[in-house]
Amino acid sequence: MRVIVKQLVYLLASVVGVYLVILAIVLVAFPDEDSDGPMNSARAPSTYFVTEPKYVVLNRRSLATDRPRVIFVGASNTVVGFRQRQVAALLPGVEVDNLGVGGANVTEIAQVIDLALEAEPKAARADDTFVISIWYGEFAQDRVRWYTPDRHPGDTDINIEQYRYALYHRTKDGPALSLPIEDLRFEIAALRPYLLLDELSRRATAGLRSLLFRDKGNRTDAERDSATLSEAEKARDLAYWQSQIQLQGEVSKEQFDVLHAAIGRILASGGKVVLVDLPIPKWHSSRSPFYESYLKRRDALLAELKGTPGFRFVDMGEQDNDLDFSDEVHPKPTIAPRWASTIASALRGQLKVTTEARSDEPVRP
Amino acid sequence: MALTSPQFVLFIVAVVLIFHLSASLIYRRCVLTVANALFLASFVTSAMQLAPLLAFLVVGFLASRTARPDRRWLNAIWIAAIVVLFAWLKKYSFIAVLPPLPFAYLGIGLSYILFRMLQLVIDRSTEAAGEAMSPQRFFDYTCNFLCFISGPIERSGDFIANQEALARPIDEERAYRAIARMILGYIKVMVVSAIANYIFAHASDSLFAGLPSASRITLSGHYMLAVVSYTAYLYFNFAGYMDIVIGIGWLLGQDLPENFDHPFLARNLFEFWARWHMTLSSWFKTYLFNPLLTAMASRVTSAKAMPYFGVLAFFVTFFVMGVWHGSTVVFVIYGLVMGAGVSINKVWQMALTDRLGKKRYRKLGESFAYAALARGLTSAFFAIAVTALWVDFAQMSAIAARLGALGMALALLVLTLAGTLIFPFTEWLGARLVVAKVRLEPWLKGAIGRQIGLGVEVLLVLAVTSFFHKAPEFVYKAF
Repeated sequence: MRVIVKQLVYLLASVVGVYLVILAIVLVAFPDEDSDGPMNSARAPSTYFVTEPKYVVLNRRSLATDRPRVIFVGASNTVVGFRQRQVAALLPGVEVDNLGVGGANVTEIAQVIDLALEAEPKAARADDTFVISIWYGEFAQDRVRWYTPDRHPGDTDINIEQYRYALYHRTKDGPALSLPIEDLRFEIAALRPYLLLDELSRRATAGLRSLLFRDKGNRTDAERDSATLSEAEKARDLAYWQSQIQLQGEVSKEQFDVLHAAIGRILASGGKVVLVDLPIPKWHSSRSPFYESYLKRRDALLAELKGTPGFRFVDMGEQDNDLDFSDEVHPKPTIAPRWASTIASALRGQLKVTTEARSDEPVRP
Repeated sequence: MALTSPQFVLFIVAVVLIFHLSASLIYRRCVLTVANALFLASFVTSAMQLAPLLAFLVVGFLASRTARPDRRWLNAIWIAAIVVLFAWLKKYSFIAVLPPLPFAYLGIGLSYILFRMLQLVIDRSTEAAGEAMSPQRFFDYTCNFLCFISGPIERSGDFIANQEALARPIDEERAYRAIARMILGYIKVMVVSAIANYIFAHASDSLFAGLPSASRITLSGHYMLAVVSYTAYLYFNFAGYMDIVIGIGWLLGQDLPENFDHPFLARNLFEFWARWHMTLSSWFKTYLFNPLLTAMASRVTSAKAMPYFGVLAFFVTFFVMGVWHGSTVVFVIYGLVMGAGVSINKVWQMALTDRLGKKRYRKLGESFAYAALARGLTSAFFAIAVTALWVDFAQMSAIAARLGALGMALALLVLTLAGTLIFPFTEWLGARLVVAKVRLEPWLKGAIGRQIGLGVEVLLVLAVTSFFHKAPEFVYKAF
């Protein structure tokens, strides 16, 4: 018995000791980047978080301030369409954060909203305006989207990042923080060796993965601007979204319920909501079997929310010129300033009271 | 309870500490019995789910108690009953005439319980085994939690001989070696096999996605990558699992048999199976191959026929081994491919021996080039044969149709050449590492040095585990 306990203690001491040495070396050799500025998912690949979900979960320390802010949530078209710097430049006096996550469905978007609310001081939530961008592809069922062999059943990409370093643990009600949210920055500092190793391995194998597998990597802005789709590519894209939604001409009602509930949580916390219907190319909306069902359910939701204080709807659906899109969903980079202008105009009315009340706040670039 | 789960690690720590609270043999046996029962219970949510397995155990227990050399018919009936019950519970398609049980039940472990029960009954019916086992000892033997999921298949004689050793005290060296072996196992499972599995998942995804339209060259590339990565995943996953359970066994006074011995050093399929899943191969050799060969030899006395009986017995043995792996038609194909492989291998050996004579054939086998080529071919054949473990029939047909016989032959050729070149290199590298290790030994052998080594290994496991969404499943639990 004594022999076993002794060996286990030695092992534990060795693990802790070696880790502390590695941590000290990493913290000295690779000092932390400045992560206190606005959050911008588009920057994720250039940070040591590398991916958007990891960035959103682990890099929330800038939200722990009482600055008034506009928080964009949605999928990849939110990241490339509402470019953080372009929108921020049009909204002086408020902080603009973009927490878009590529491939998100509404369940995952709702999780991002909860993460943002969790990270903020309660008093600051009343100064929040959440811009929730929607389009029909986000209304894919969880059963199809998140029940794949490579993950625990139902875990979204956000969940995976929550559990990856045990910052959260599983409960029957979903992920629960292992330590108070105030300790997040210290936890991230303690995890730096793992984050560094993860970053290095991802960057080192990116080329190989692209060569061997079907990962085609991100396109440059120039490539996106010059992109045109062939008929075969359009057919392939329509088939892809069919495989993602897997319902006969219907988008998921359950996902609209999740959206409704998430809006309710923001409003209950004192924040405001701007729901934006993002455009997709005309060819796509006219051929998709899901678009009509999406509009029907969207209108039903809007009818329910009509007159709700703090809620506003912005319809960008008319900006659906085929030539403005680099693929079946994403706007070309040259179109992003127009999207920024549209949303900034809509937000100015919503933010009027807040920006006036906080006119002494410094304007962030 | 998955071996890679934190719950399992805590379970092991608790069992080991409780086990060592007393040196009494009776106490320690009781601790192991309770641990076996708890491990079994961790897989189910209701007693009903355990009922079929318990019924299977009861049949096996009765058979082992009543089997005797003078009861040939009864022995045969028991063996048939155990095999049919097993096939029914495992839902083998060829026994689909019997309706399946109308509720979900525990199927894990049945395959290995089958081997242990058959062995007990056969040994008792041929006087190979001594005393009959008590119910507690029978349960501990058939449901030892260390071997429950996927072996190793411990012989009943070794199990009984090992019982007295349960009471021996553990010294510091054994405790260190046990934990070091477990950590090595976790490195194999959670680092190497996890990386191989990641590559396999993407390669097979690319393969299946490309089946309708990709060029044959692209498909062949993805197929070969999938084949190699799956084989690496299978080996490191299974060998790592064995390291873990053997290490835990050392902490619990048990010396479980080894199950792997560098299989990719094998120069033919017979040698391969003597090095891969050794306890399974040995079981089949003792309880199927030898009796089959003896039965054939006793009916036909011609010396010329003997080698061909050998070929036939090998074919049947490997076919049954293949079919044992699963209940669908792809496993029948797997069995046929493995059976054909060893048969051709045997015929080739016989033909070369005839042509060259034993001495020159042995000399040829020892030459570097022939040995390297034979090693490459053996590994390549095995890797392609185990395709059956990761495809269904429709996928297998689609791959075969798109690649064609030429594509498959090309894949075998390329993988053989790759193995021919890579294995000698890895052997050379391994030798260099051994030299380096010997040089570092004075430092590594020190108490602090080797504990730091273990600490680094644990951190490596934790780091690579954090890369993946979930730890890899233990692949052989499916069989």
